[in-house]
Amino acid sequence: MTTLDAVDSTPWGLSPKLLAAVVALLTGAICLLLQPYAPWLFAFPAGWTVPATEWVGTTLEVVLNAIKPTMRLFSAAIAYPMEWANIALAGTPWPVVIGTVTAIGWHLGGWRMGLLGFVGFLFVLLSGYWEESMNTLSLVVVSVPLAMILGGLIGLLANEIPRLRAALLVALDAMQTIPTFAYLTPLLLLFGFGPVVGLVASAIYAAPPMARNVILGLERVEPEVKEAGVMSGATRFQQLFLVEIPAASRQIMVGVNQCLMAALSMVIIAAVIGGFDDIGWEVLLTMRKAQFGQAFLAGLVIVTFAIVIDRMSARLALERKRFDARISWGLFAAGVAGAILLWLTGVSAPPEGIFGGVADSVDTALGDFTAANGASLDSVKNNAMFYGLLPLRIGLDEAVLPFTWGFQWTSSMSLWLFVAAGLGGALLALTGRPVAGALLLIAVGILETGIANLPWPFVLVGAAALAWLAQGPRFALVVTALLATILISGLWERALLSLYLSGAAVAACAVVGGALGLLAAISPMAWRVLRPICDMLQTIPLFVFLIPVLMFFQIGEFSAFLAICAYAIVPMIRYTQAGIVSTPPELLEAATASGASQTQTLLDVRLPYATPVILLGLNQTILYAFAMLVIAALIGTTGLGQSIYLALGQADVGLGVSAGAAMAILAFIADRLVQGFAEERRKALGLA
Amino acid sequence: MKTLLSTTAALLIAGTAYAADLGDTSEPIKLAINEWTGQHVTTHVAGEMLKAAGYEVEYVTAGMLNQFQAIADGDITATLEIWSSNVSDDYAKKVEEGTIVEIGDLGLDAKEGLAYPAHVAELCPGLPAWEALKDCAGVFATAETLPMGRLVDYPADWGTPGAERMAGFGLPFKAVPAGSEGALITELRAATEKKSPLFIVFWQPHWAMSAYDVQFVDVPVGTDECFNDASWGPNPDATMDCGFSPTRIFKAAWSGTEEKWPAAYEILSNYQLAVEDAQPMMGAIDVDGGAVEEVVAEWMAANEAKWKPVVDAATK
Repeated sequence: MTTLDAVDSTPWGLSPKLLAAVVALLTGAICLLLQPYAPWLFAFPAGWTVPATEWVGTTLEVVLNAIKPTMRLFSAAIAYPMEWANIALAGTPWPVVIGTVTAIGWHLGGWRMGLLGFVGFLFVLLSGYWEESMNTLSLVVVSVPLAMILGGLIGLLANEIPRLRAALLVALDAMQTIPTFAYLTPLLLLFGFGPVVGLVASAIYAAPPMARNVILGLERVEPEVKEAGVMSGATRFQQLFLVEIPAASRQIMVGVNQCLMAALSMVIIAAVIGGFDDIGWEVLLTMRKAQFGQAFLAGLVIVTFAIVIDRMSARLALERKRFDARISWGLFAAGVAGAILLWLTGVSAPPEGIFGGVADSVDTALGDFTAANGASLDSVKNNAMFYGLLPLRIGLDEAVLPFTWGFQWTSSMSLWLFVAAGLGGALLALTGRPVAGALLLIAVGILETGIANLPWPFVLVGAAALAWLAQGPRFALVVTALLATILISGLWERALLSLYLSGAAVAACAVVGGALGLLAAISPMAWRVLRPICDMLQTIPLFVFLIPVLMFFQIGEFSAFLAICAYAIVPMIRYTQAGIVSTPPELLEAATASGASQTQTLLDVRLPYATPVILLGLNQTILYAFAMLVIAALIGTTGLGQSIYLALGQADVGLGVSAGAAMAILAFIADRLVQGFAEERRKALGLA
Repeated sequence: MKTLLSTTAALLIAGTAYAADLGDTSEPIKLAINEWTGQHVTTHVAGEMLKAAGYEVEYVTAGMLNQFQAIADGDITATLEIWSSNVSDDYAKKVEEGTIVEIGDLGLDAKEGLAYPAHVAELCPGLPAWEALKDCAGVFATAETLPMGRLVDYPADWGTPGAERMAGFGLPFKAVPAGSEGALITELRAATEKKSPLFIVFWQPHWAMSAYDVQFVDVPVGTDECFNDASWGPNPDATMDCGFSPTRIFKAAWSGTEEKWPAAYEILSNYQLAVEDAQPMMGAIDVDGGAVEEVVAEWMAANEAKWKPVVDAATK
């Protein structure tokens, strides 16, 4: 039984979808009509807000000071393994490190993996950032086990105590969506200055994928296997550790892989705090000087680590086959021999970078390109702003001006627009699509008003209506309560700005990413080109891309929009491609047998079948877009991201955590809405 | 074992004549390295002075905003270039707590103000006089600010001095916060490459001042009368119709420094560095690509008279 069936019988015999659309539409219309008399419907009065950020700050301060001594002990304890890892990695001569990585690569995946490890680490060596890279690696080496233990424990807890499960899942969401910058100040207070803070931050961020995979893995253990354990008289503890966890090990290893990648992507955050001369710090320094070539080079070192670690740990997770250990020992010995040789010749220090010239010329090329194409870049930006972003933000009524569109928007134009939309909506309703008609009216209303100017009752009612449709009445209540929290804490305006920017980015990503994913699914050649680009976009510290975006389009929303898109488009491409490619062959055969053309097969078989997967991709795109909002604030956006930096600058714990929580709330609602609709699609297709 | 060693070391040192002033030389003094080149120069010069006095020095990378917790805990001994215009509230809190002490001005003569890359003077004739900006706001207009001109202001967390000036002078400009220093530099670079208009809030000493030939707009000197009295200055109806209040650049240290390393505390307190000395070193690093250690070592060798007396006064 789906959630939709649950609310099937509604008053006046309307379908639930239509009812939701009509309620939202009416709320919006009433707000618009009342605007002249009740301005408080649009701008939430400051007098109605409560100083929630201060309360959060005061409460947190008490809590933080209470647990500070314990955390400092932990901090001191964790500093030891950190130091050992650092001594081991930075102290080992580079030929030995490269030999070891090559040996591990060979053992896991034969000569291809070995070569990958060798070439990758050779690149790191030749980049001239060897020492910094080893510092980075030692952070990862310690933070990943920490994240794995934390994630594993959460996963086991959720599995063993089903009552805690829902709460733990929400906690995992929060760990992934509250931006790290939001709680950096409290972390510094708790753990003291230094790499330990970066370590803890990356463990918090990297634990959820581990936990989710543990939960999924344990859930999927075959009932027969479990029963066999029970029948042989195992205690729960034995049952768990001797039967279920080994049976779930494959899925858990996928978690390990994801955990590693997440930890690597947090390297840059550790650098922001400092205390650690790592590769992320190098990226920050070059970024500060607007040296794109050099920042890109340092960023590529992180990408290289990510690719080597990703491919090797994926092998570890998915393939049982192992290659001859004797050759591995041989490779290791070769590394040691190389080190001794170097030591004898007296050049044991890692070499200077050889890519400095390349980095410089990349940098110069960027400058020349900007200089040569300044005018056309400006017109791209202006068009995007005038006809896309500005109307979306402040509405047609304010965005259409003589110097943007060439004429002034008048209230009679608004009237005509609404009349046209009303006619269109009525037409759709009469031809049997009343829901589409109501949605058209809502869309026109939003466009006329602008997302940043939306009346708050409309947003609350609209979101609640969507929530009702997606997950039922309880979720509608939760959504309303969460949004009301943002409203009365005084962060509403900023939240709407964030919503607008990430909404615009998500919409663009859905269209462009979906198209690229489709292309990649049809043409393997296109996928071969797109895949490494996707890999790079996901792992390179995105600070690097802020430089060219800024050079081309200057500080402002359009640059922020592009930066968000660059990151958030990746899951959309990946999932669309994967969803379409994975259509079961039986379905395709059946389609071919019934005489469907290529296009028909794609539109009527592959796409509908892939819809749940594509929706999952959209979900990830939404979460990524919210995650990037904070980084985008570095190029001057004004939403919640900026509040988080303000809070960081003023060491205002309350504001930082509240703004972070508001962001997490928006992401959480968007996530659950899309999941609800994806679930419905899956059921409609008979997949669940 | 480690404690035993350091006790022995302390005893040995206590035996010599002047070393009591030095304090605990077995443990390195940790100096904060923040995110910008000028600060690296400032810190390395101080570090070399401490080494000359007989200390062991460690340079620790630390985010400007995040370093104060570390100094309060004694994890970092001192930070030597704090700009009063850009210091987090955390610092004031820690000073109040008594965990951080201020140890005097760096003597670096800073200037902040409304600025533009030199080529912009051709696009808006009449610069550097501020009145010229009244008529060429259109030149600086962009999609986000139309019909007003665009002023690239400091990142929001540094305050909004640009926006205040535009209101004060009644100039038709909208101030856009930059978000980060990298964004400010990128704006300067892009404008210079494209020869496009740019109006920005900037400061010196900074390597970009010479790299992009940045000029300041001429405005009345910022004084307390101007900040408090609307009738003062060219705009009779508003305050802030003048330049920035002079920025102080100062040093701060962990409150236990004086007790643990008395001589080092004295050296760091008396240490000063002039713009004429600092700016060429910044240029040698950021424009000519030199390493900070080498550039500083070269300067130290050539300018012993400027730093040796401070070290000698503290140790002899």
